[in-house]
Amino acid sequence: MTVPLNTVRALTCPNCGGTIALRAAGNTVSIICEHCGTTLDATSPDLAPIAQATTAMQRPEIALGTRGTLRGVQWEVVGYLERTDHYVNWSEYLLFNPYQGYAFLVDDERRFSLGVLLTQLPGYTGGSITVDDVGYTRFGSRYDAWVTFVVGEFYWRVAVQEQVQITDFVRPGTMLSCEENAEERTWTQLTLLDFGEAEAALSIPKRRKSYGGTPAPHEPSPYGNLMKEALIIGVVAAFTLIVIMFMGGGRTELASATLDVALNGTQATRVIGPIDLPGRTTAIRIAARADGIDNSWIELDYSLVNRATQESFDAYATAERYHGVTDGESWREGDATPGVQLSSIPAGQYDLVVEATGHVWSSTTVTTPDSGWGETPAVPVTIDVARGGIFIGNLLLTLFALLCWPVILVLRHIGFETRRLAPVAEEDDE
Amino acid sequence: MIDATCPNCGAAVHFRTPALPVKICDYCRTTLVRSGEVLQAMGKVAEVPEDVSPLQIGTRGRDGMGFELIGRIRMRWSGGGWNEWLALFDDGSTGWLSESMGHFMLLRAVADGGMRTGAVRSVRDDQPVVIGAEATIASVKYRVNDVKDATFVGSEGELPFSTPADTPIRSVDLMAPGGECASIQKDRGEVSVYAGRYVTLAEISATNLRAFDGWPLPSFAA
Repeated sequence: MTVPLNTVRALTCPNCGGTIALRAAGNTVSIICEHCGTTLDATSPDLAPIAQATTAMQRPEIALGTRGTLRGVQWEVVGYLERTDHYVNWSEYLLFNPYQGYAFLVDDERRFSLGVLLTQLPGYTGGSITVDDVGYTRFGSRYDAWVTFVVGEFYWRVAVQEQVQITDFVRPGTMLSCEENAEERTWTQLTLLDFGEAEAALSIPKRRKSYGGTPAPHEPSPYGNLMKEALIIGVVAAFTLIVIMFMGGGRTELASATLDVALNGTQATRVIGPIDLPGRTTAIRIAARADGIDNSWIELDYSLVNRATQESFDAYATAERYHGVTDGESWREGDATPGVQLSSIPAGQYDLVVEATGHVWSSTTVTTPDSGWGETPAVPVTIDVARGGIFIGNLLLTLFALLCWPVILVLRHIGFETRRLAPVAEEDDE
Repeated sequence: MIDATCPNCGAAVHFRTPALPVKICDYCRTTLVRSGEVLQAMGKVAEVPEDVSPLQIGTRGRDGMGFELIGRIRMRWSGGGWNEWLALFDDGSTGWLSESMGHFMLLRAVADGGMRTGAVRSVRDDQPVVIGAEATIASVKYRVNDVKDATFVGSEGELPFSTPADTPIRSVDLMAPGGECASIQKDRGEVSVYAGRYVTLAEISATNLRAFDGWPLPSFAA
């Protein structure tokens, strides 16, 4: 067993005399001096300068030589380059571990992705490509990308203005990037890192967690899962609400009485009570049933009167039933069991005053049959008072409240996906 | 094990297997070619330049059966360099662990040379080979993913052939969707075809790796 070797070797830049580090000897082909920007040929023993700096030197946010552990593997930053496709700019850090090889840390200025070169060829099935039986969808068309700045060491002959053609394929959280030039075609698999993950691993200030701006092509919508959950919960809740309301909505019988109403225009009055309403406010449903009427109607005036304050809540209903023959066709109409509702009745003890007036209808005139022969037909009318009832307005309001959040999430999700696809949306229209 | 003495410097020379005719003397770096009992000195080869490869002569691994790395050739092309490590398997057969940019290909020679494939014939006839071209070797369908013109830089240990500096070599690498890979090499007029797959050091349970200051050995190798 030999003495552990130091992977870092100090070299002197033949152009500026500055000390530079060689961290991956044997693999490294190009070194760009971090002091003067000169590109040096690492495969020549004397580090022959290949190109002078064409851009002003700058320091990458993560310094060369920084080490950190990402997804269980320790990496050292050995190279940094910036690229552009003349639409967006991004930067890439080259990471090295002597036992693991290389990885790329791609920074789109919002989030980081960790990339590894694929050692297998993706398969093509229909419009999408597959790696390990997982499908990826093409994201836009092939585009050109240029290197705009470079520093550090690389295992290929890197140069500013170096151009490659890139085709991206995405699925939420992962991107496959195919880079081609005349000599080779490489596939990189990029995994989107969590907010703050790379920053913590490589000791740089944490980025603000934000879903605004243009998302990464492989960025999963942060609203996707929330939206699905909220939609399921919202629909179940709305369905349950509707079922409960139509099944009786917690209706409770409060009082019931039957009164006989003469159909001769004479008013019959009945006081039903006491009716106790303990809740802060209560909805009341008053249902009438006058099965005995035929070609007659009964006007029903209700007054719900508070015994203590004499405050009165009024409502009106008509029980009616008609039939006849017109142009040889028989017809039947009317509702002998009308219901009315009073909402938001304050707590207290009440009496319901019912005033009923009955009339007989004929196709020619309204008659009061008692004038001729003293027999006055009387019809029993049953009045039921119950708590609760379906208030369509309230139902709609509740449904709106229930579905508000899911709808907001759907709109946000659509907005996010629209922004994510914006860079390639125009191409699809062409 | 065959023991001999370097005819150039007199150092002891050990051959691990009688199957391999070439050994680079560990001391004077002379290429020794064995023919029967006779050792012939064939000129010096350069030392392999110091690199940060995790592999070394004596690194062991497993692929079905165990193997040990007993030789190494350093290759160079215009875009960089790579290592070809010779693996001696426990059954006496040999293969190559090809190391390039942190990736490893475990390859074995394909017996009939796969001459039916167009890509192999193109290499044999010095015709251009196109990136992305299909090639079927030992019934696996590959695509060419790079073509390099290289030379030997240096070598060490036991080898199946000598590695004189500046020998022009054409090297074509191929990949397949299942992670299989292949390599076509033309060296001094002779075409060889190798096939295998990409592996990680964890997958071959590599041990006796080189230790580096400040880098913990991977759990499988420690």
